[in-house]
Amino acid sequence: MKKVLLSIYFLSMVVLAVNAQTIFSEEIQIPEGYVTETVLMPPSPLSMQVIFVGGVDLVQTTPTYGYEAGIAYAKEWHDFIGFTPDETEESLGWVSVNHETIYQDNRIGDGGGMTAFRIERDPITGLINVMDQELEDGRKGKFFNVDFVNTVGETGMNCGGIVSVVDGRIWSAEEWFRSSNASIYDGRFDAPVQNAGDFPKSPGGSENQGVRDTADFTISTDIPGFDGLTIPKYENFNYMVEIDPRQAKAIRKQYNWGRQGFEGGTVSLDNKTIYLGVDATPAFWCKFEADTPGDFTQGTTYVYKHDAPEKWVAVDNTDPEKMLNFKAEAVAVGATMYNRVEWVTIDPNTGIVYWTETGRDSPGSRWADEEAEGAVHDPYHLQRAIDKGWDTPSSDDYRDYYGRIWAYNPETNENYVVLEGGPDWDEEESPAEVDYFSKHLSNPDGLSHIIIDGQTFLIIQEDLNGSSYGRVPAGVGNRTCEMFLLDLSIENPTLNDLIRISAVPAGAEVTGAVATPDGVSILVNSQHPSSANPFPFNHSLTYAIHGFDQITLTNLSEPEIMNEDEFTIYPNPTTRVVYLSEVKDVAIYNAAGQRLAVLRNTNEIDVSNFPAGAYYIQTEDGTTKKLIVE
Amino acid sequence: MKQLMGLIYLLGLLLSIHLLGFTSQNPYTAAEALRVANKQFQNQLISLEEAIDHYYHTAELFNDSKATIDDLRAAHLQARLTFKGAEFLLEYNDRQSVKKYLNGPPLPSVEPKVPEIRVIEAVGLQVLDELVFGNTPKEERAKILDLVQQLKHEYAEVKKYQYSQPLQHRFIFESARLELNRIFTLGLTGFDTPGSVNAIYEAQVSFKAIANAIRAYLPLIEEKDKALAKQVDQLFNTGTHYLDKHIDFETFNRLEFLKLVINPLFAQLLHAQKALEIEIENTLETRPMAINLMAENLFSEDLLDVQYFSNVGDTPNFKKRADLGKLLFFDPILSSTNTRSCSSCHHPDKAFTDGMDRSIAIDGESKIKRNAPSLINAVYAEHYFYDLREPQLERQIKHVVRDSKEFNTDFLEIIEKLQHSETYRKLFAEAYPEYPQYQLSKWSVSNALACYIIELRSFDSPVDQYIRNEIEEIPLSVERGFNLFMGKASCGTCHFAPTFSGTVPPYYLENETEVLGVPATTDTLNLSLDTDQGRYTSGKPEDEAPFYRHSFKTVSVRNTALTAPYMHNGVYNSLEEVLDFYNKGGGAGMGIEVPYQTLPDTPLDLSESEISDLISFMEALTDTTGMTSVPRKLPDFEGKPEWNNRTVGGDY
Repeated sequence: MKKVLLSIYFLSMVVLAVNAQTIFSEEIQIPEGYVTETVLMPPSPLSMQVIFVGGVDLVQTTPTYGYEAGIAYAKEWHDFIGFTPDETEESLGWVSVNHETIYQDNRIGDGGGMTAFRIERDPITGLINVMDQELEDGRKGKFFNVDFVNTVGETGMNCGGIVSVVDGRIWSAEEWFRSSNASIYDGRFDAPVQNAGDFPKSPGGSENQGVRDTADFTISTDIPGFDGLTIPKYENFNYMVEIDPRQAKAIRKQYNWGRQGFEGGTVSLDNKTIYLGVDATPAFWCKFEADTPGDFTQGTTYVYKHDAPEKWVAVDNTDPEKMLNFKAEAVAVGATMYNRVEWVTIDPNTGIVYWTETGRDSPGSRWADEEAEGAVHDPYHLQRAIDKGWDTPSSDDYRDYYGRIWAYNPETNENYVVLEGGPDWDEEESPAEVDYFSKHLSNPDGLSHIIIDGQTFLIIQEDLNGSSYGRVPAGVGNRTCEMFLLDLSIENPTLNDLIRISAVPAGAEVTGAVATPDGVSILVNSQHPSSANPFPFNHSLTYAIHGFDQITLTNLSEPEIMNEDEFTIYPNPTTRVVYLSEVKDVAIYNAAGQRLAVLRNTNEIDVSNFPAGAYYIQTEDGTTKKLIVE
Repeated sequence: MKQLMGLIYLLGLLLSIHLLGFTSQNPYTAAEALRVANKQFQNQLISLEEAIDHYYHTAELFNDSKATIDDLRAAHLQARLTFKGAEFLLEYNDRQSVKKYLNGPPLPSVEPKVPEIRVIEAVGLQVLDELVFGNTPKEERAKILDLVQQLKHEYAEVKKYQYSQPLQHRFIFESARLELNRIFTLGLTGFDTPGSVNAIYEAQVSFKAIANAIRAYLPLIEEKDKALAKQVDQLFNTGTHYLDKHIDFETFNRLEFLKLVINPLFAQLLHAQKALEIEIENTLETRPMAINLMAENLFSEDLLDVQYFSNVGDTPNFKKRADLGKLLFFDPILSSTNTRSCSSCHHPDKAFTDGMDRSIAIDGESKIKRNAPSLINAVYAEHYFYDLREPQLERQIKHVVRDSKEFNTDFLEIIEKLQHSETYRKLFAEAYPEYPQYQLSKWSVSNALACYIIELRSFDSPVDQYIRNEIEEIPLSVERGFNLFMGKASCGTCHFAPTFSGTVPPYYLENETEVLGVPATTDTLNLSLDTDQGRYTSGKPEDEAPFYRHSFKTVSVRNTALTAPYMHNGVYNSLEEVLDFYNKGGGAGMGIEVPYQTLPDTPLDLSESEISDLISFMEALTDTTGMTSVPRKLPDFEGKPEWNNRTVGGDY
């Protein structure tokens, strides 16, 4: 009996500890000697600079659809950012920004698109300057639309892409998979329909959707097997498309890598292999191996099959039938299926390839047919489904809310999960209140890397595809997509190892992050602007976060809690987080003692939105610390 | 055994308090109140699991013809009622899982954020409500079983996630206040009981559930403010008795209940939250939220935070921008011909409509595609235009600028023209000093116009004033009309209070569109569906689902007395015609084939006097105070004298 009582006693202690739920006064007096400690939060080494605003900044256009070269408002929905370093060191390099759209535009061209520009760093201010350029085709200005229409044909929904770590070559991915001409014209399933108004005057306009030219397309390319081939127009979409960011024009669509709803990819360190991700369920993990490093017009295309002896199965890429119907080929060889593969990046230190699988609430019906036709599930998904009580990931009841980060090791040809999104747990019951999760990684999408202190970090960007099951926690009104760093030297990382970068516009979907080669900045796109952010953050835009050269491994990491007996706070100027030595309810007061916020069950206070000044942090047991934010 | 465990628990608790050296005189702390509320919620979650299990077993038996339809209906109602007891916190904690899996509208949707059209069929209790109380439950029994099974599986996930999730004091107060809104706007209107029409009984349950949760805090409120505690307690008693006594869906006096119970409680619970010094969500968020939980009345202007909807940021230059926007709104310089302005089709004296079925195009001959909508309260929307094609108010104008039937120009031309005016250059410089680069730009022109539209807000009609107790009386016909609107006539299940538009309470984050089956003409002998495909042709890939064909934004009925003709094509000239259309069950009810009509095709059975009451109510929603003035003069263009004789508002 005593034993029972004792354990219940401890249980209630725990309940008490978790459920402190103190009410904090709206106003406090701060008499002399009341504050036990004053802690300084130095200014953030990180700062933001807006560089390219979609829909407002003007781009230089080429002669298109009978219109003369001129200017137009840049397309919007910025997604991927390509960065091509300038080997001459006259500038930092060339930036190319994807537009994930299917607008009609007489001057830029219908469908999606890209904008390219060249940047330099001001030696005094350290800020980025968009340079004036004159291109070979005679265009002069700062921002240039990448000419697809007159080179390789229109593109659609340019979302992710590839930046070669070897030499900065750039490919743009066309994600929105199309299956008929009707579905590219006006974005419709059926025959063209009457429009709200004809838009004859549309230099730079971007209202109507779709691609108007649906005539058969004759391919002109240096890829064997495809030159001179005439295909229905819609089949000229959904490729990886190489561009020349210096001259703002497309080079080729990679017909030999297959026609798929590509999202991301990466080039191996030896410049021989391209790894490719496809945003679909099922998604197949693919690669292309060049016969000659750097020449991606000839080589072999493979699809991953984990249970095959060599892991990779070749698909004949000189047969247009097979490349145009790549998915059917992948299913036919029984390839391994994944659930919405997004971006792909490579660790230049190790050559290991990392990729995001963003997840999908109910993937079951989306890959059940393909499973029936012979495609296979990755053992990870299979086991995960079984752990959750279902026979197969093809079950209608299989859920994959959060997604995860995978790695592919070219040495072993293995795919394995690096970090499971979530909180994801297999138990029948809810975790105990005391253990209830506070950290989330939801729907990782954008993925790239940055070297800090010689160490590779992944840059992970969320793109929430839902708010349920903690993707937006209870009691939080607005959804937030976050950007995290993950130190790749950590073995078996957990959600607690994610380092949130708060220097992003509140609430906006961030994507495209790419580091500048000088290690100073990350260029980021704000794709879906959040409500109530002031201009320019209510537009799709490209901005830079400067100051990564000031960051070290130590100032990124969480503090080591030294004195466990005494409540202590540890400010981290880089992440703009004040860490607490224990999980508590705390209230934050301004210098006048007025309550600004109450945070519960937390050991972190995000002060990124706090204007410089003095604050008081009071805990549930009345301890008060002074915090000076600089 | 349970009791014994409870006793042991209590002993342990006391012991721990003792050992921890707590010497409080009053052992009933806020933490204890929360624990009580939390325990109630956990018990509700367990009850709901049991009710759903029972529902599942009954559906299995029904499928095997071993249970009667009455058994099935009883099990369904029990599950729904039990859900209603937990609804306030279930929704607050995770509104998406409730909407997607437990009690979302019985309409298909499109999976978000995937690069394909994937239709998600509706599941959950509302779909079941229609089937189980429909005409052919026996034939649908396999589908019913399948839906109940899905409900069971999904609820297991929801419960697993929410059972031990730590609650906070504010969750209790905020979820209770949101539930008051939900009871009034969605519950009592019959929104989520399309088949069973069990709305009043469900309201009883959800009302009592929040009463129980808040009562856990009553001793604490009493300590702070005795009178307030008493008021809260009495209001819960009043509401409970009212709901127990008035159980007839058609005669339930919603206006009386709103004024007697819902609004006073909505205010007093806020006062209690403040008296207890419990933090409020809006003060914690770094960005505005659509619903302002600091508002005291469901019909006060500040219930919806215009900052959230406007998307233009909080700027000290707002007034300058709006004034500049007003000039631009009436200036025909924006059109290619310098002959028409925004006000050409949006007349201030007609609540910013133009009295036409569809406005005459800039060519002077043809008509534009759709009826000019009112701009008053336009800001309170997630998307703009009848087809929802534009998500931002600030960008709405670009569609007008470019349309060959409207302004037929582009921003490059507009900026070029405006640069010829010193006055405009000066006004833009003053309104946009912080962005030298974008001072006179596509953005600033669009932004200024948006700022003017944002100022066009109306929550001060006689109905609003009466609800807020600012006037003592309204005509009985208006009261009857309000109750019909929110009850028997089902208007309020799409034209949601308080905007009376498709902006969905209680969070006001989404816009609804509806397929009504509006005919092309009023010719009743040759009825045919209007060919406009609406949302389906919005140009957004995710709207290319068949059920968005002929689907149109639900506009506000505020100021509707001024905005004839009606519907997206202006087919009806009077409100009588509009109500006749609804009374017959829309297009499908009139015999037109309308796939995916979202309006029930069954007649509403409204009498002539009921229709007249509804119109009285809508007419009492008129308020254009302070919104009808027109600039006296437009800025001059030096060096372009031929532009200086243009008329305010244009020639059309």
